[in-house]
Amino acid sequence: MKNIYNLSPSHPHRLALGSFIEEYTNRVHILSFHPETLSLSPHPSLSFDHPYPPTKLMFHPRKPSPSSSSDLLATSGDYLRLWDVRENSVEPLSLFNNSKTSEFCAPLTSFDWNDIDHNRIGTSSIDTTCTIWDIERTVVETQLIAHDKEVYDIAWGEARVFASVSADGSVRIFDLRDKEHSTIIYESPHPDTPLLRLAWNKQDLRYMATILMDSNKVVILDIRSPTTPVAELERHRGSVNAIAWAPHSSTHICSAGDDTQALIWELPTLAAPTGIDPMCMYSAGCEINQLQWSAAQPDWIAIAFANKVQLLKV
Amino acid sequence: MVPENMKKQLALAVRSIQWSYAILWTDSTTQPGVLRWGEGYYNGDIKTRKTSQGVELNSDQIGLQRSEQLRELFKSLKTTEITPQSKRPSAALSPEDLTDAEWYYLVCMSFVFNIGQGLPGRALAKGQSIWLNNAHSADCKLFSRSLLAKTVVCFPVMEGVIELGTTEHVSEDFSLIERIKTSFLNNLHVNDPNKSALKSRNQEDLAYVAFDDNVESIPEIGYDIASKTSPDGSSNAFQANQPLDETFMVERITSGTSQVQSWQVMDDEISNCVHNSMNSSDCISQTFASPENIASAPKCNNPSDPFAHNPKMTVVDPRGDDWHYQRVLSDLLKTSDQLLMKMHSQKFHQESSFVCWRPGGATDCQWPRSGTSQKLLKKVLFEVPQMHLDGLHESQEENDYKEGMRLETDEIGMNHVMSERRRRAKLNERFLTLRSMVPSISKDDKVSILDDAIEYLKKLERRIKELEVQRGMTNMEPGTRRSPQDMVERTSDHYFSKNHNGKKSVAKKRKVCGVDETGKEINSDALKGSYANDITVRTSDNEIVIEMKCPSRTGRLLEIMEAVNSLSIDFNSVQSTEADGNLYLTIKSVFTGATIGTTKRIKQALQKVASKF
Repeated sequence: MKNIYNLSPSHPHRLALGSFIEEYTNRVHILSFHPETLSLSPHPSLSFDHPYPPTKLMFHPRKPSPSSSSDLLATSGDYLRLWDVRENSVEPLSLFNNSKTSEFCAPLTSFDWNDIDHNRIGTSSIDTTCTIWDIERTVVETQLIAHDKEVYDIAWGEARVFASVSADGSVRIFDLRDKEHSTIIYESPHPDTPLLRLAWNKQDLRYMATILMDSNKVVILDIRSPTTPVAELERHRGSVNAIAWAPHSSTHICSAGDDTQALIWELPTLAAPTGIDPMCMYSAGCEINQLQWSAAQPDWIAIAFANKVQLLKV
Repeated sequence: MVPENMKKQLALAVRSIQWSYAILWTDSTTQPGVLRWGEGYYNGDIKTRKTSQGVELNSDQIGLQRSEQLRELFKSLKTTEITPQSKRPSAALSPEDLTDAEWYYLVCMSFVFNIGQGLPGRALAKGQSIWLNNAHSADCKLFSRSLLAKTVVCFPVMEGVIELGTTEHVSEDFSLIERIKTSFLNNLHVNDPNKSALKSRNQEDLAYVAFDDNVESIPEIGYDIASKTSPDGSSNAFQANQPLDETFMVERITSGTSQVQSWQVMDDEISNCVHNSMNSSDCISQTFASPENIASAPKCNNPSDPFAHNPKMTVVDPRGDDWHYQRVLSDLLKTSDQLLMKMHSQKFHQESSFVCWRPGGATDCQWPRSGTSQKLLKKVLFEVPQMHLDGLHESQEENDYKEGMRLETDEIGMNHVMSERRRRAKLNERFLTLRSMVPSISKDDKVSILDDAIEYLKKLERRIKELEVQRGMTNMEPGTRRSPQDMVERTSDHYFSKNHNGKKSVAKKRKVCGVDETGKEINSDALKGSYANDITVRTSDNEIVIEMKCPSRTGRLLEIMEAVNSLSIDFNSVQSTEADGNLYLTIKSVFTGATIGTTKRIKQALQKVASKF
């Protein structure tokens, strides 16, 4: 199963995808997208083994710079790993282990690269913690017990502010300047319904979106009004698997789910009583597992389903 | 055949009227009835000029040289298309050096026209001159290359059709055509057209022999791409009538070769989409609309054809009149400068993949509603971590002994959480082992496993007592008080050993043969039936069957099971028999693929255990 991918900001035509096989035979591939010819071409020399299935892939969030030919790619899974994607090869750069006591670290469910402070990566783990790494010095900046249960996703808002979702059903915001406290801004209606994914609106940091286990809802939260979602998008006819805010607009969000559809929503200033309808839709014919709307290519949304990756023109 | 001085004639003609370019479309030597690039002269804007020699050239020479260089560049780019691996032959010009007009000129080289089709084709068919103004906005059926040239004139000459073009707007003036025509007639008829053929052209034609048989009218480059980029295993996921051109899929990347691509190629008037596949059986090409224009004659009559293909032609609605231009351009550029690519991509307009959402609109789309929702997401978040823990457990065990020496206790109690998890993982594993050893397990939960195990042990103990009584052994040796482990080992015997006298004597016996064994360990496989360890490992498509015989000993079975475990083999069933101081063991296991070892490794590992004492 193809599942996880990310577009590279520094090589806007590049995307990484990871296989997802429940064995130790996984690989990560780098592809080039040619918008002119509408084709994807693989770079066989840039494909590498990632035995443990990667749970997330992400390129360095830096802006395009023609000077640097190499690119950094981070993957999570058994560890957080950094890879140097060069012209013709991919070299492992560093491996991050947050366990002081053993050479193993608890499995990571996700991570997020801080796009303001590029030296920071936050990882979420099933051991209830989030770890903030200083990747420059390859040291743990801080490790927080973020939740009562497994942490499933993490997203940066600002340079020092991140949020996470967990099996305990809560969305919490953390500020690295005050590690003692966290703010719960949402709790799932039925206690202990895990929250699986989190997306923070980078164009308007007041808003974030999360999805629940076995739910067709996309829950839109306003951090100024904790506990009550500002909107619930309920037009998916199966469970939602992935969400992504538009990189260039504060009011648009894309969601994809088991109902094979990818929906783009425009959030109104005032929601109609009947609920919010999506703006447009795309049907993939198969459950969509993953979705990526990259700032490097705001015109394109990448989706993954079954063993396929598609790029959709917005 | 193109007369040698044709280029000069073209140069003369186009320079006399100060237009941008002149092209001679000529009958294809390999494919009668088709017009293709014969000769050309470029007279338009030049961005950068590269001269290898320091000699100052006059404008005449510069123009001729430029035209040559453009042709050369086109060929070199085309070569790269066909064999992307091979290094592009060095051309005097690189794509970065070109102006837009030069690009236009370059792309024209890729066109082929049927007689009666396209502007040159029509001019030839009618035998008349055609003067086209506002070519850039002309109907794409009439003139598809309508990006830059504003005025295009075509008129037939003896060798084919002359096309003249300019980026300026020039109103119709047939006297101008006449003038040029006359100059051509005057000059060309002196030459013997049979005498000369451009050497390079011949070579180039050779490259096209392969497909000229099959393809009537498509841009050459488009063809090359189509045949090149549809490797075997491709299937087309596009649904007819859905404008999904923007959607490209890459399937089965793991194999590294398969790729799904659909290419749409626009040509003058006729719009053919050639969807070629190296492996046509895997190729689904779909027909779009208006089949009256299908000009398909797919014959594959050249067995030595390097692209053993089976062209299927389909008609595409002629949307996007600059499609071909953009396509060729970007393909040429694919191997070239990235910045240019970006620049050109901006001109490219595409439709959205998304359609307007309608309430209940997608009723037609059915998806497999059965099964768990968020399957993959759940696997990533819930199951994969478990996978990690399983892997962790093995190596952790080795580290466990260090735990006591650790000075630093984790302030956040992480250690405790992790060790608790490990402990549970270990427990679960032991339960599985136990379950596999006790027959007639009713349920899968732990309590049932324990209950059944207890029941089974009791039954066996009763059996032992019975047998001992039968044998009249009233005085048991002190050492025969069995530890639970020992019990497991001995009682897991389904057939029950006849040799159940005191364990000590068995152990002694074994020790003796154990000493003998050590030297023979290596070729123990061969010594079937001897007292050496016999281990056979057979793997069928998804099952591993391990059969082994080794001297029996306390805890031996457990050691073997542990060894098997360490190889990440999940066993389904274990049968063990103890007889004559030997332990006979059959382990059946499902091959999960995660198994670390090969047959050889499994064997070695088991041999190590079996010979240990």
